[in-house]
Amino acid sequence: MERRGLVSVVDDDESVRESLPDFLRSFGHEVLPFASADEFLQCPGSLDWTGCLILDVAMPGMSGPELQLELARRDRTIPIVFITGYLDGAASRQVLRRGAVACLAKPFNEDALLAAVSVALGRR
Amino acid sequence: MTDVDDKQLLELVAELRRHEAQLAHGQALSQTGSFSWKLDTDEITFSQELHRIFGFDHGAPVTLERIAGRVDPEDRAFLAAKIRAARQAREADYEIRLRMPDGRVRHVQTVSRAMRNPEGRLEVIGAVKDVTERKLSEETLGKVRTELAHVTRVASLGALTASIAHEVNQPLAGILTNARTCLRMLDADPPNLDGARSTAQRTIRDGARASAVIQRLRALFARKQPEADGFDLNEAAREVLALSAGELQSRRVVLQMDFAGDLPAVRGDRVQIQQVILNLVLNAADAMTGVVERPRDLLVGTAADPDGGVGLWVRDAGVGFDPQHADRLFDAFYTTKTDGMGIGLSISRSVIENHDGRLWATPNEGPGATFSFWLPDGPAAPARRETGGK
Repeated sequence: MERRGLVSVVDDDESVRESLPDFLRSFGHEVLPFASADEFLQCPGSLDWTGCLILDVAMPGMSGPELQLELARRDRTIPIVFITGYLDGAASRQVLRRGAVACLAKPFNEDALLAAVSVALGRR
Repeated sequence: MTDVDDKQLLELVAELRRHEAQLAHGQALSQTGSFSWKLDTDEITFSQELHRIFGFDHGAPVTLERIAGRVDPEDRAFLAAKIRAARQAREADYEIRLRMPDGRVRHVQTVSRAMRNPEGRLEVIGAVKDVTERKLSEETLGKVRTELAHVTRVASLGALTASIAHEVNQPLAGILTNARTCLRMLDADPPNLDGARSTAQRTIRDGARASAVIQRLRALFARKQPEADGFDLNEAAREVLALSAGELQSRRVVLQMDFAGDLPAVRGDRVQIQQVILNLVLNAADAMTGVVERPRDLLVGTAADPDGGVGLWVRDAGVGFDPQHADRLFDAFYTTKTDGMGIGLSISRSVIENHDGRLWATPNEGPGATFSFWLPDGPAAPARRETGGK
């Protein structure tokens, strides 16, 4: 179960990919950034090691909610914390219904994000 | 006629009265009066309905002076010209305004022609219709159109707001996270100065990004006055596309641009044209919402027209349209979308036509449709130009 401690950040936005890992690392988390859903899926071991997936909603190629469905299809229950630049109530309810830990609007409150990450890692 | 007895005469008179009453009735119902004007004596006869339209009493004789006195002062020179033309036995069909004693304006349409009467004298016979209500409805229609234009603008602003929120919130998230990380690095023991420095640098970069989005927004909405020297259509289109990038991306639209270099400047209201471009782009994205079996390709291009002017087209790979309905696309409230209001295209076309341009749609060879507009180039032009060859 120890290798499940990885926090994976999947976001097409560079500023999130750069800032969020450093921030989480400063709290002792192990973090890997990915620029797209495909990059995450294709990275060897990422599915096995990730204990918390921080996932952007709107991305080119496969979107966040689509990656959530794809993981469910593969029977991979990785706890997901969604982050989105534009919070759409219906979309957020849908991803939560499908089991996401939280759906946070950018710019998110860092404490809320840390709490969600802890919940996600604790689910394992 | 000496053998006509009194009884027959009475019947004829009664018959005549019935016809007259019917005529008066018809005139009143259709708000159309008639007149005759003997050109040699200037003797004028008004029907009952025409008396009513002009607000004349039945007793006093109708003269050209009384008629001119009732016509709106601004239209009197126009009336004088029409009277001169009528004297030369020309046909007439024109609208003119009356100014009633209570100050209200009445719009009337006059149709007349000259003919020889049974006595061989030249006489102008005409019909005058009260079209005030139609005029007022036209004015109301104009107002409603303006309101619709506003509604459309607000609706596209709504879609744009989502896009802008996305564009600004991304760097904002970076700024806040970096600042928080920076503080933690400084507070660590020992402080991580290199890390703090690089997070501060990223904060600055993200701040500049957010500010660039705001600058593009200002460019889009700040310029209220049409630019006298004309504007660069490429630049205007690029601004719109940059602002809609987030919206297009979230709808999985693949945007390609094919802008011609060295376009002549386009004249007109830059903001209005940008709203048309935005409308066409959002329409194209809407048309591709259900497309899953092929890429949602959107191509926006510009070109200089060899015959003068500049063209812009927006080509989608969406549901397309039936060529038979090509003209209906531009009717207000015609829509192929389930959640669309169908106003955008009709407003867009009127904006382009107000700029002396044209907006049209063509089905693609493959899937989808292409919406194009053409605008004249050159510096600010006179408001109207005479028709005729370019």
